[in-house]
Amino acid sequence: MIFSTRAPLPLALLALLAGGEALGDDLFGNDQALPEVLTATRLKQAPAAVPGSITVLDSALIEASGARDIAELLRLVPGMMVGYRNGNQATANYHGTNVSEARRLQVLIDGRSVYRPGLATVDWSDIPVAIEDIERIEVFRGPNTVSYGANALMGVINILTRTPADSRGTRLKTTQGQRGIHDWYASHGTGWAEGALRLSLSGQQDDGFDHDQFARDYRDSRRLNRFNLAVSQQLDSRHSLDWQLAAKEGSNQRPYGYASLFDEAIADGDDGSDVSARDYAGSLRWSLDLSPAHSLYLQGSAQHWERKQVWRACEAEVAFSPELGQLWDLNPFYVVRFGDYLNQLKSDPANAVLPPGSAQEQALAGAVLAQLAGGASRAVCGDVNQSMRETRYDLELQDTLSLSDDLRLLSGLGYRYDRADSETYFNGALSNQIWRLFGHLEWQLDEHWLLQGGAMLENDQLSGSSLTPRLAVNYLITPRHGLRAVYSEAVRSPDMYENNVDWRYRVRNLQPLAFGQGSATYFARSRGPGNLDQEIMRSRELGYNGAFADAGIGVDIKLFYDEIHSMISEPLRNDRFFPSNANSMRFSGVETQLDWQLSPADRLRLSYAYVDFAASSHLDRRLTARHSGSAGWLRDWGQGWSSALFYYGADQLNGYRFERLDLRLAKRIAIGNAALELAGVLQQRLDDQPLTWPENNYDERHLLYFSAELEF
Amino acid sequence: MPGHWIRHWLLLCCLLGSLPLPAADIILGSAEDSPAIRAFSAALAQRRPQDRVQFQPLGQLPSPADIPADTRLILLGPQALDWRLGAAQGPPTLVLRVSQVHARKRLGASRPADLTLLWSEPAPARQLRLARVLLPQARRIGVLYDGHSEFLLDELRQAAAPLGLEIVGQAWPDSRDNRPVLALLRRSDLLLGVDDADLYNPRTAKNLLLTSYAQQRALIGPGAAFVRAGSLASSYSDQADWLASLDQLLDQPPAHWPSSAYPTHFKVLGNRQVARALAIELVDDASLARQVAEGETP
Repeated sequence: MIFSTRAPLPLALLALLAGGEALGDDLFGNDQALPEVLTATRLKQAPAAVPGSITVLDSALIEASGARDIAELLRLVPGMMVGYRNGNQATANYHGTNVSEARRLQVLIDGRSVYRPGLATVDWSDIPVAIEDIERIEVFRGPNTVSYGANALMGVINILTRTPADSRGTRLKTTQGQRGIHDWYASHGTGWAEGALRLSLSGQQDDGFDHDQFARDYRDSRRLNRFNLAVSQQLDSRHSLDWQLAAKEGSNQRPYGYASLFDEAIADGDDGSDVSARDYAGSLRWSLDLSPAHSLYLQGSAQHWERKQVWRACEAEVAFSPELGQLWDLNPFYVVRFGDYLNQLKSDPANAVLPPGSAQEQALAGAVLAQLAGGASRAVCGDVNQSMRETRYDLELQDTLSLSDDLRLLSGLGYRYDRADSETYFNGALSNQIWRLFGHLEWQLDEHWLLQGGAMLENDQLSGSSLTPRLAVNYLITPRHGLRAVYSEAVRSPDMYENNVDWRYRVRNLQPLAFGQGSATYFARSRGPGNLDQEIMRSRELGYNGAFADAGIGVDIKLFYDEIHSMISEPLRNDRFFPSNANSMRFSGVETQLDWQLSPADRLRLSYAYVDFAASSHLDRRLTARHSGSAGWLRDWGQGWSSALFYYGADQLNGYRFERLDLRLAKRIAIGNAALELAGVLQQRLDDQPLTWPENNYDERHLLYFSAELEF
Repeated sequence: MPGHWIRHWLLLCCLLGSLPLPAADIILGSAEDSPAIRAFSAALAQRRPQDRVQFQPLGQLPSPADIPADTRLILLGPQALDWRLGAAQGPPTLVLRVSQVHARKRLGASRPADLTLLWSEPAPARQLRLARVLLPQARRIGVLYDGHSEFLLDELRQAAAPLGLEIVGQAWPDSRDNRPVLALLRRSDLLLGVDDADLYNPRTAKNLLLTSYAQQRALIGPGAAFVRAGSLASSYSDQADWLASLDQLLDQPPAHWPSSAYPTHFKVLGNRQVARALAIELVDDASLARQVAEGETP
């Protein structure tokens, strides 16, 4: 037996077969039982196969930019119009639309939507995430409600924070500079066998703009502190949990928010109308890998926004006249003409004529005139409250199923509950419930053709239901070079403000009493129509995405033609607010971005957008820069030295040119196991225009700030 | 002792009995006895009908010193290597299924006479050529190592130089700390896995693969099992390759055997889904293996 040299032939054949076929049974196959990690459900499309245009801002770019705010980073995204209402209110719009609001972008932090339910805007400065915690920002340029839900009308900004597992160790950073910049950041990450956590604390402070168009000091500084805790836990080989808690508190200065209509001589009642802003957020994601071909996750989040804005304002007593209020409710245009008449009474009484109107209008006007004659033009001061609390609960189930190597289905459903509570804006609380169902199919027909499409069905309690489709065809010349044609539709539901506002100021602690009352309602008020329809966007896109690996070049070109119909263009205001779906807008143009790794030490990045547009409302014609773009050069000089030079330009934003050159110089020093990085950022404006609005001015065209960061 | 003597005698009888043939006695030894090993033994026997191939579990073998010098000993696995090293003298021996890292732990840099270590891991030069075929533009090859595998860098650097590649090494002493991995991915074009179970194991696989994918960097190697987990590709040698490689060595007089070698025959396994996600053109495995083999010195 010992010397038997021949095995039966079938056994030998089996052994040979085993060698070629089943690696796991092979004597020389690896014994390790490894999990399938990069499964079809985890892998994403290569850039050339993406059904749309995406700009990725990676951590190297984010760091090199030296930016202190997310909005500043968005200048690197072709077609993104970044402006400021004041120093602590940045606005980011893709391609344009209304200059004072930015309500057509979806913004997500790790999958959690952060645009405010009440006013549908994004308070960039108040988002409870530090730029130091951001790993990557993916900007989907174009409508994508199929994947991201309504409000993803013009684009989606997907902010992804560094995973706790990638955040081990301690980081301490301080940034100090001109314009009152005092920022700090501290984080600590730790891990255990099956999980990791990161705790970060941070703060930011600056003076905002220096002076307004009248050379007066501009009250728009900010101060904030943030807390962020992120934990990931692998429960077993198939289940994992990721959860986050975030909070932010701070104050955003605002100039005194009232100008007297009846008597310019009435003095301001307060220094300003500052906002105390607190944001709280918590989210939990449970991921389950059912098999390498099938995974799903359930994510729930709860958020609360608190904006406290109370200031003391002064106005003539007549502004609180119940009769004037009735007249406004009856016909606000009559009140405007009546106001003109009152002014004329002062300047040219001989020719002043009470405006004609109905008997009731005339009678009310007469009563108001009698009040004025009785001394109601005297100044009274009271507390104005413009505070708001907003709450959102969001639940989403997403399922990824790989039907074959070439066919993948993404589907899911979501439920969202939004609530806004404000005496001034909504005369109490208002809530909304939104259900959505979505599906997206990716089908690789062969090595060249890729068909991707899907649809979303959404039901919005306040504005009805909608079905939005999306279809994309990619032709892959090679895996690295792809042409794409995309058609998509998207909707934006009117926000609570536009549709349901019930704006009235209940002014309290009036001194002296107004018509004998300590609290009274200001005469002007506005109501949303309640019957607004959704805005509809139709977008057509042709694009090319290519990677020239030999040269280290990645390039993307996009041609687009987008139309928005049933557009609500009216800005939020409390006098004569008559929003409608009467407007429309069209954008067409070309965008390109190029990332060129010239050498291991040099990286060049360019972006450019040409946008042509037509808008039925003059309000939508101001924010679109016809030419805008950026150019960056990142270099590693060795010995720990690195530099980054960026140029940003837009030919006009709300009528003002914007051009800036940023230089960041950094030196990294190793101290034992720790690393210290010292960096300086110099920003030099190349134009001498205000930024977006005439009151946004700096004393100097340059800004200098320094940072020191210790990592260990 | 009597048992040893009988076995020795039987062996002698057998040798005498086969004198007319230009044949060799090949003993396959392994600590474990399994159908897979038996099948391998049978396949080797079939491949070398002129030789007498037999499998014996280690426990049934005499001391290496007592095995005739003209026997060829083929040992499988680290335990068999330890057993062989237990004796100063022994027949010419080929050791399979042993990794460089293990041999280093056991032997340091020394190489005992009459011992040929056939490395279980893919040849570094082959992996580097594979990397160059798949990612021709990649120049900086990132390699994670720890105290046990740092010595592998020398061989990698020697293999990389003629290909115009640069090895970027990064120590990774604590596999729960991701920072070294991230630092390495930032300054290299791809990650090359080395066969060090401290670094590449079922516990670290998920993190390594997800991290490198998130940075859009491909992992090459460390072996075929990792390709199914999500590594882009790896060369590997299966049983058929090992049989063919052994066949070549056994045709040579043992005096010509090198002190260590990689299998001459190999295959390539690629992961098409990963290649697609990383926008890498992946031809079929057989063509890829041919392209990689073109660079081999005969």
